[in-house]
Parts: sequence; structure tokens; C-alpha cells
Amino acid sequence: MPLRGGDPAPVIGRRSFLGLAAALLAVPAAQSEEARRYKVGFANLTEDPGVRLEGFGFTGADVQTSFTLAARTLPIDMVFFDNDRDRAKTLANAESAVAQRLDAFVEYSDDASANAELAKRLKAAGIPIVAITYPVPGAPLYGPDNQLAGRIAGDALAGFALSHWAGMPQVAVLLGDLANSADHMTERVEGIAAALKEKLPDAPLTRLDSGGNGTQAEALLRRFAAAQTGKKLLIAALDDITALRAKSAVEEAGRANDSAIVSQGCDHTVHGGMSDRKELDPSNRGSILIGSVAYRLDRYGYDVLPLVLKLLSGEPVPPRVATRHVLVSAANVFSVYPPIDMN
Amino acid sequence: MRTTLGLAICALAGVLTVSSGAFAQSDCSKTVPASPFGKDDQTGATNRVTPAVTKAAAAEIQTGKVTTLTNPLVDGVPLFGTRFTKTVLTAVTLAPGAAIGDNNLTFMEDTWLSQSHVGTHLDGMGHIGRGDCYYNQTAMGKFINQNNMTKLGLEHLKSFATRGVLIDLVRVYQEANKLKTNAACRKPCIDKGTVITPEDLQAGLKMYNVTLREGDAVFLNTGWGDVFAQYPAQNALYNSGEPGLGKAAAKWLIDQKVIAVGADTWAVEVIPGEVQGEAFAVHQMLITDNGIHIIENVRTDLLADEVASGKRATFFLNMSVPKAVGLTGNFVGIEAIQ
Repeated sequence: MPLRGGDPAPVIGRRSFLGLAAALLAVPAAQSEEARRYKVGFANLTEDPGVRLEGFGFTGADVQTSFTLAARTLPIDMVFFDNDRDRAKTLANAESAVAQRLDAFVEYSDDASANAELAKRLKAAGIPIVAITYPVPGAPLYGPDNQLAGRIAGDALAGFALSHWAGMPQVAVLLGDLANSADHMTERVEGIAAALKEKLPDAPLTRLDSGGNGTQAEALLRRFAAAQTGKKLLIAALDDITALRAKSAVEEAGRANDSAIVSQGCDHTVHGGMSDRKELDPSNRGSILIGSVAYRLDRYGYDVLPLVLKLLSGEPVPPRVATRHVLVSAANVFSVYPPIDMN
Repeated sequence: MRTTLGLAICALAGVLTVSSGAFAQSDCSKTVPASPFGKDDQTGATNRVTPAVTKAAAAEIQTGKVTTLTNPLVDGVPLFGTRFTKTVLTAVTLAPGAAIGDNNLTFMEDTWLSQSHVGTHLDGMGHIGRGDCYYNQTAMGKFINQNNMTKLGLEHLKSFATRGVLIDLVRVYQEANKLKTNAACRKPCIDKGTVITPEDLQAGLKMYNVTLREGDAVFLNTGWGDVFAQYPAQNALYNSGEPGLGKAAAKWLIDQKVIAVGADTWAVEVIPGEVQGEAFAVHQMLITDNGIHIIENVRTDLLADEVASGKRATFFLNMSVPKAVGLTGNFVGIEAIQ
């Protein structure tokens, strides 16, 4: 059963690597098998339900739930903390982790200085760390490869254009919160632009910066699309909400048949289930939204906890482990995100 | 419900949404094991209900106490999406002057429009596959049309007159001090997402000194059915997940050669599943690979109370399934007779 970070300190002592090894040698095998459960802390970036993470539609609850679910079949008891994007809370969580003698700690905080201080304190207490998305000194880092994800989107868009609209005039559009470096948008933009330039060198690239405002994105693209008569529109949206706005814009402009859209994130905005149908759906293969690159924030726990177990068992962990990005389309959405709404 | 079923005209409006061209024909011997009941078997695990099994099960009837395991099938119970169950009453002879004969005979009938996997229902052999491969290596693409299946239909099932065993997992979790209930449950329940293990099942059996035997039907009380009972207010919660069998527990039940596994949940298996990216893996293990039925949305709380007070977790299972030709499943009425 997961605990909250503020719960009383557990009775079980923290095991350092050497201490763990010594303990294992000192007890009979059957006993050690039973005792080998770990208390692992996860400090979330924020659990504010109104805050969307990394520029996508995921919330802190999505990330936390993934840890809860992933821990079910692992010898791990989770202890959850909320960094709340606050330095003081982040450091208080670190202190609590030390006081509770946790076996390991997963840190998801975008405050570099707090992460550095947290690293010192946990290192002093012998608690290994895995960092998510934002580096923590000395800790392996798990998170998205934003450039690669951008390239996947750009490749998909170019691939569609080459197979369907070869030889026709084309224009590429980057749409979204283009200048938002805090959420790594700029890296995604670089990846998309590089792929498009490589595969479609003759297609001019237009950047429409909506500042993260969906209404603005729709208005910008509607005007742009209406002016691009006779050209095919290849639209790379930086998030799923913007992608759906882009779809509306080209429909309103009467340009839907000349448009293809690729998105980033693949959150619940675009994929649903057997009953809860969304834009990316096996029965909607003709959609002009041809796919969205998965960032899998709602799967982080499944990827990170095995790394934690490796750390705890002394196995080598690479300094950087990237999210397995994949383009999710109508053809594979039920494979990547199997629906459960089939009662 | 079975009486009603007998009177009803059951028009199953759920159209098979598959097309025969959806899958290339597979070599199903590579993806689904052969049935232990022979290469032509379409029946599945009810082959295990032999006269000897039924006779032994009859010994479970000691007090004659009958406990229902069936939830009412009525507008508002939890369903997903477009699934529905709806009745239309024909009562023309109740109109003034419409009674028949000197004896003033009147009558009523129902038209029942429903999908089959609603309410307390049984999953048949044709419900779940792996690609186009279904139970007993059946390449199903050849055996479906717009109206039904021409193989593996419910008409092939044998009797369910066997011993039933209730495993009260709520008590198991309470006694192990690991019950994590859900705030919406009015009685203790195991929360959604909880993986039931072989050890949990074994602890539940040990609690009442029961050893499973070939041909048993197993029913799991998780308490999640209390969320069903709060329809329609808690339908979204009920459908959002459930406690249930993990794959190891399913494997253990398969090894015990049971004929069916029922639960007070909508899928019997844990939702979300244990492995990200997998869908209803326990369904495939039980039905597709081993011909074992799944019975969903079972009302187990009343029987759990009986079991706790009588200290006996076994009973004679009274359940029959309509000989509905070519259907993948159907609602059932279930009783536990002790």
C-alpha cells in the first residue's frame, strides 16, 4: 500500500548496499527472499490537477498512478511526495526521505538548484536516486528524448507527403508554443525541423507561435491555410490540443483534404478506447491527424522502477535512459494503449 | 431471470463488428494450444462435468438454503459505451375489450433487445481470441457471419451442475491486514488495480478447509460488486478498473482444472492489467487457451455472508445457459444451493 510522504517513518531500517549484502548473508535464504522489499520514494513535479506537464495533457496524477500500478508486481512499497514545483517542499521531501530511511528515491523536479541540494542530502544518507526529465547530480536520468521525438514526428509527416503527395507543392508548418524552452519545446522543434529539411528540402517551413493558446493556434493556422491555395499543408503540432485545433482550422478553411497533421504527446486528448472514441482510433483511419508521438508520462513508473531495482541490486544503470517514443496512429493505438472500456 | 428469459424474445442487436477479412488466416497451432478434449471440441471445460462430478456436487446440498448470485438486469446498471439492454412490453390484451374468450384470457410478452455480455453473464468459447485464433486452434475468420458464429457457440456447452466454491478475498485481505478499500464502497472492498495472487486464493481456500477439485466452478468475492450495486451513481467508478486475478493466479486456477471463474467484477481479472501494453491477458489464458469460462458481474456478497456464518464455502451450482446458437456469451441466472 503506497504511503504519503508525510506518514510516520517506517520501522524498517534503510539498507545500504554493503549493509544489504551483509544482511542477506546473515539470514537463511527463505527469510531473505521474504524480507527483500524496498521502500521507494517518488517526488512528483506537481500534483496540482490543473497543471499539465511538459506541455502535454498529462497531469501529476497520471505519473503517480503509473508508479502505483507498476509497483504492484515488484518488491517495492511506494512512498509518494509532491514537490509542488517549490524548492522548500522539494528539500523538505528529501529530509522526509532521509528520516523515513527510504531505500531509493525518484526525483521529478525542474528546480536545478533544489535538485543539487537534494542530491547532496540523499547521497549523505546513502539513498540512491533516479532523476526524471531534469538532471540530479550523480543520478541516472530517465526522460524523453525531445529531439528524437521531434524527428519521429517530422519523419512521419515527410513520409506521408512523399507517399501521397510526391511532386505536389507543399508547405510545412510548425504550430504551438514554439518558444517555450522550459517544457523542451525548442528541442522538439529542432527535431521536427531537421527531419523535414532532410526529407523534404523543397518544402518551405513556416513557424506559427501560438504561445500555447489553442484559440490563437486555430486562428493563426486558419488564416495561413486559407492563403496557401494550391499547396499541401504539412502541419507539425507541438501538443495534442493544438493538433485538434489545427484540424478544426483547416476544416474551417476548407483545406482539410490538403492537410496532414502530426502531433506530440499522445495524451488522452487524442486517444480513448472501445467506447470512448477519440481522434486516434482504429475505426478512424482516414483522419488527417495521422499520429501523435508518445511521451508516455502515464507509463513512467513502469520504466523507472526497474531502473531503481537495478540500482538497489548493484547492477549498472546507464547515465541516461530515454523514453521509448513511438508514433501512435490509428493502426497501432490499441496496441500501444489497449482500451479497457469493454464491460 | 431464467423464467423471464423463457418468456422473452431475445433479440440480440449487437452486431459482430468484425469482417472476415480483418485478419489474414493464421496457423492457429502456433498461437493457441490444442484442447485436451479433442481436436473437434467446441465445448471447453464443461466437458469436466461428468455424472460423477455432478453426483459428488449434489452432496453439497445439506440445508437446502438457496442464495442468489445474480444481479438484477435493469436499466442503469454499469455498461460501457453503446452496450444496452432494453425491454418492450406487449400488453395488447389488457386494453378494454381485448381480452380473449369467455374466460377473459389476457397475456403479455416482452421484446428484449440486449447485447449478450451485460449484467451477470457468462463468456463463451467464442468471446476471446488471439488474433483470429480462438479456443482449440479455431481460425475464427472462417466461422463468423453477420449474425453469429458457426462454431464455438453456446449450444455446445455441457452442464454446469457441479460444485461451486466461494473464495472470500475480502476476508483474506482483512486477515492479512492488507485490505486497501475504496472510499466509494459501503462495505469493505478490495480496491481497483489490486492483483490477486495464487497465495491469496490458497489462503481463501484454507480459511474454509477447501481443496479445489477438477470440475469445480470458482467464485471470487472482492467486494467490488458493491460499486455495481450503487448503479447508476457509481457506474463510472465501477467501469474504471477492478481488483482481479493476476496471471499467476489464473495459471494456478487453470492447473486445478476448474470449469469457470466468476467474480463480482466486470472482467474477473485485474484492471489495469499487470503488464502495460497487454489487454485482458487473463481472458486469453482462461478462455482461449484453456476453455475455462469467465462469469462477470456476479453478486457474491450474499453468499459471502452465508459462507461466513455457516463456515462452509462450497455449494451446488445451479446455473444453466440458453442453447443460444452461435452466441459468444449470455446473461445467466445463478444460484448457490447449500
